[in-house]
Amino acid sequence: MKYILIRLSRSLLTLIIVVTVVFLLMRMMPIEGYFGASFDKLDEAQKTAKLNNLGLLDPWYIQLKNFYTDILKGDLGESITYRPKVAITKILGDKLITSIRFGLASLAVSLIVGLSLGIVMARFKGKFWDKLGTCYVVGANAVPAVIYYLLIQVYFTDIFKLPLLYSKSDPKSWILPVLCLSLVNIAYYAMWIRRYMVDELNKDYVRLARAKGLKNKDIMTRHVMRNAFVPMAQYLPASILYTVSGSIYVESLFSIPGTGGLLVTAIQRQDNTLVQALVLLYSSIGIVGLMLGDILMASFDPRIKLSQEGGSR
Amino acid sequence: MTSKKIINNMADNIDPSLFDFAEYDESKSELTGYSNYSFWRSTVQVFMKNKVAVALLILIVTVVLFTLVQPYLPNQKSPTKIYLDPNTGLQYRNVQPNDEFIFGTNSIGQDLWARLWSGTRTSLYIGVAVGIFEAIVGITIGALWGYVRKLDAIITEIYNVWDNIPSTVVLIILTYIMKPSIPTIIFAMCMTGWLQMARFVRNLILIIRDREYNLASRCLGTPTGRIITKNLLPYLVSVIMLRMALAIPAAIGNEVFLSYIGMGLPVDIPSLGNLINEGRALMMDPSQRYQLFFPAAVISVVTISFYVIGNVFADSADPRNHV
Amino acid sequence: MKKILSLLLILAMILTACSGGKPPVSQTPETPETPGPAEEQPEDADGGKYAEEQVYKTVYAEEIQTINYLTTTTNVEFALAANLVDTLVDYDMYGVLQPALAETWEVSDDGLTWTFHLRKGVKWLDFEGTEVAETTAHDFVSAAAYILVPENESATANLFYSVIKNAEEYFNGDITDFSEVGIKAEDDYTLVYTLKEPVPYFESMLTYVCFFPAYGPFLEEMGDQFGTTNSALLYNGAYILSEFEPQMHRILTKNPTYWDSENIHIVELNYKYNKEATSLAGEMYKRGEITAVELPASIIDEWMNNPELKAQVRPGTLGNYSWFYAFNFDPKFDAQYEPENWKIAVNNPNFRKSVVSAINRIAAMQTEEPYNPEYRIINTITPPNFAAQGGLDYTQTGALKAITEGDFFDKDKAVEYKNKAVEELTAAGATFPVKILMPYNTNSTSWANEAQVVKQQLETTLGADYIEVTLLPHAPTGFLDGTRRAGNYSFMKVNWGPDYADPQTYTDPFERGFNYNFPEYTTDVTADGQNIFEVYEAKVNEAKAEVTDLAKRFELFAEAEAMLIDNAFVMPYNVSGGGYVASKVHPFEAPYSSFGISSERWKGQKLLAKPMNTEEFEAAQQEWQAAREAALKEAAKK
Repeated sequence: MKYILIRLSRSLLTLIIVVTVVFLLMRMMPIEGYFGASFDKLDEAQKTAKLNNLGLLDPWYIQLKNFYTDILKGDLGESITYRPKVAITKILGDKLITSIRFGLASLAVSLIVGLSLGIVMARFKGKFWDKLGTCYVVGANAVPAVIYYLLIQVYFTDIFKLPLLYSKSDPKSWILPVLCLSLVNIAYYAMWIRRYMVDELNKDYVRLARAKGLKNKDIMTRHVMRNAFVPMAQYLPASILYTVSGSIYVESLFSIPGTGGLLVTAIQRQDNTLVQALVLLYSSIGIVGLMLGDILMASFDPRIKLSQEGGSR
Repeated sequence: MTSKKIINNMADNIDPSLFDFAEYDESKSELTGYSNYSFWRSTVQVFMKNKVAVALLILIVTVVLFTLVQPYLPNQKSPTKIYLDPNTGLQYRNVQPNDEFIFGTNSIGQDLWARLWSGTRTSLYIGVAVGIFEAIVGITIGALWGYVRKLDAIITEIYNVWDNIPSTVVLIILTYIMKPSIPTIIFAMCMTGWLQMARFVRNLILIIRDREYNLASRCLGTPTGRIITKNLLPYLVSVIMLRMALAIPAAIGNEVFLSYIGMGLPVDIPSLGNLINEGRALMMDPSQRYQLFFPAAVISVVTISFYVIGNVFADSADPRNHV
Repeated sequence: MKKILSLLLILAMILTACSGGKPPVSQTPETPETPGPAEEQPEDADGGKYAEEQVYKTVYAEEIQTINYLTTTTNVEFALAANLVDTLVDYDMYGVLQPALAETWEVSDDGLTWTFHLRKGVKWLDFEGTEVAETTAHDFVSAAAYILVPENESATANLFYSVIKNAEEYFNGDITDFSEVGIKAEDDYTLVYTLKEPVPYFESMLTYVCFFPAYGPFLEEMGDQFGTTNSALLYNGAYILSEFEPQMHRILTKNPTYWDSENIHIVELNYKYNKEATSLAGEMYKRGEITAVELPASIIDEWMNNPELKAQVRPGTLGNYSWFYAFNFDPKFDAQYEPENWKIAVNNPNFRKSVVSAINRIAAMQTEEPYNPEYRIINTITPPNFAAQGGLDYTQTGALKAITEGDFFDKDKAVEYKNKAVEELTAAGATFPVKILMPYNTNSTSWANEAQVVKQQLETTLGADYIEVTLLPHAPTGFLDGTRRAGNYSFMKVNWGPDYADPQTYTDPFERGFNYNFPEYTTDVTADGQNIFEVYEAKVNEAKAEVTDLAKRFELFAEAEAMLIDNAFVMPYNVSGGGYVASKVHPFEAPYSSFGISSERWKGQKLLAKPMNTEEFEAAQQEWQAAREAALKEAAKK
């Protein structure tokens, strides 16, 4: 418990550092970015008026102070170039939900399919299933995702008569995006769980268990799985939380109004408030995710002690 | 024994000639069991047994050598020279692969064969540079992070800060300040790449740092550096090898992504990322698909080779697999 | 215990992520949701020229940021506003001015006072189609009051105050009483503009967003939320924005109470957003899911090689952004590119002409327009069909006629100029090769390709001992600031878009003290020893002052522009637009204006039963061109 509290307070400090650094970095960008293509035609008075409105003419520490006081009031501000004058919470609200839904669906699919595949591959190491699985893992990673996403979109919609683009009212339009999102993750989980399990299977306690006459299935599920899963557990909370940032490729292709690519677009358009809000959100998630991952990992394996005292039992 | 003679009755004919004095050599008693075991040699031996991996290793070495040798072969064209159609005087665009242009030309008449090999060189160079940096910095920081409790707090927060600043912001500012070029992209990718390796190594070390043998080492007063290099890292060799092997395809994939969002290398420096991005737009057109096919094939070969080699090497590096 | 804790943690995270979520935030009226684009296009009428169902569907990749038409200058945004709100005047399909919200108008003798008499009974509707108020002259005044407040960040305010009396002073705070500004509603249906000085092209400005009306009380109520979403806007135009969900879709439905509704044939405009529209649009068009698609350069080959597809494709119409290559007369770049040397070279006319003559513009254009690159090439800075006087197009006026009908590319001449230049420049102390720094924006693949093509052309024709072209790829962030405006280039492609329909607008980039190519620093002289820029400037001022004899005005501007081109200060290149489209929309039935938003309107447009192909397009274009000339002559007589 104490460990969690200490960690949280450190995290708050980190969060402040991250957001401040991004805040300052964004203000290093050129002014013309706030105005778009018509910059040449604007008068000085117009430019000054807009910059003043955005608070960009104040010295940087004043801007920072205003920013933090607003946050404490719960005001994330309004977007400046992405959708001018619209509140950030309004822009993000719907998008987050959509991305989270897709992310969770894909995470569930990837975990179930990926872990099962990996276990099978480890179990039948060197034989047919392992080779088949390896082909899949390698293939999914070798060909750049942009290519096969587009191919899947064009050809599967044709063959299976699925809708080309996502629309809220049509549940069938979920299938292909979730499939695309999961493909790479399935390969990732399968490959790593296989590796960890293979490592475990070589260990002495497995040999003992076999000597004792335990069934293979029991050895796998009750002993090996648990140990092999520990390193992967670290990433699990972060994966769940990171579903808020959607996949830029998939969302672009299928017209999914999520947050994928939102950060990149906001940065390119120099929408400072939106970038800051997103960084605040993603950083909190990243930091919390890392912490939860450590705790999860420690809870799976009692030999791991996170706090300063250390020492195993 | 010096001679053979069958003795039926012990009392018969025992004479000293039947016996030899056994020499006693003190030094021989010092000999211990000697095993001719070398870790790396065994690793290599096990690796060699896997025919597929060996074949791919030869393939990838050939590819790398070819990219280095290609510009010096006869009849090679420059990757940036624009060829004109002899009939119209305009660019010789989108020519299908033929005798003159082995892989065809792109939309402004540049030779794809030359561009592909030049691009592969560039991308491999970037990948290797980033991979090495990641390995050295990532493993060092990850090990310290995982093992030394006092550093855990501070490095965790440094990781958090570094990880959460969007790499896109850093990249945009970097390309704005420095020109878009190869050193810029290597610098940017190195800045963000070491994080994942560090976290990965740290996780594994967390798991084993309090095992009995490490406690024992600590009790004996072994310095931290020695514990890390002799106790912890060898245990992790197989997974670290796998991770390092994947760093190069990952760097190439990252480059493709950066080209996709417009932050990659400028088009007049061919690279696999650029070529894939250009080819991707043409994917739907059967007569132009070749522009995507060749770079995609090269990326696939490179990725597959590194994956398989990495996996097999990781398997063979596990001492339990050594016979 | 630990196991339970970890399970609970996971569950908690999943639950918090799944639960909650506000209802959709953007407004949609209570009508059932419009079917998505997956719906098949209904069968077209047999034998009829026009489609039976007049619903236009398309995908777009560039999302609009705001619908506040009083602040924006982005093309996609005012294209949308053009169909939602009407203006005082409008253009017909030949570019002849027609009454719209104003039925009649007159100008005073001194050219300073314009009085407009408004149509009665035009209603403001909200996004659900409910009447809110009537459009009156006060709406124009309210809109102007909004624009002239700097805090409202209107990007078009300067255009407004460049012509209207006292507007600039009010904007800067020198005057605080709005009633002194030259816009007044004398009564509900009479609107009076008072100008600073006579402006011959004032009517053309009235179609631009800064002269749009907005209902005062609504504007005040909405405050800074005006135009952020479809419910924050009122409509009196041809269409209502019934659904607006950014990054998803928008739907415009026909306004039933529109005063000219019998000329609105397409009942629904359905736009679906897809960031990868360039990859998918072709496919969607083939499947019948959309009515029109702009074919990206990458898939044009595929369509042109397939006869069935080729029959559905036609060239797109041209725009009015003019692109030209400019020589920099005030180089401020890195010492490694030898700015001092460049300064000597650029002031030599033979040097400039050698460069211009060596560039095969058609080959360069081919990087962007692989089929039919000549279509977009123009020989003047001001595009053709932009402004005409007395039925005569500006580019055919006076000194420009010869330029329009000629060409610059001539390899032999290039070598001739080169030889002369080498002589003269060596005498002037320049070193060879002269380094040419040519930046381009890395976010445009076609520009990158074009830069490589131009570089190779120059070096092959003129020799690498004469010039050395260095390409400077620059990130899109701060591109213009880092290249053009900073003088960090030798020779670069730049562009300019017009602000009103008069040749004067294309002289703005060359004003003294502006930031395009700094021609005021030239030391090059005319045949009688006068500084070329000073002669140019004098001519332009003379032309600007000519506000009564418009034919003479055009001639003077033509002379000035011809000076720049003949002396190779710039090399005109192309005009925006073009490309190929597969579309069921007839390109010449819409209102035509070379400037402003009229061309974006859908008035008079009908969906064709079959897409128009290239031959039909070319025939239709010639027909239109002839009819336009006739119509302009007719109008000039009045």
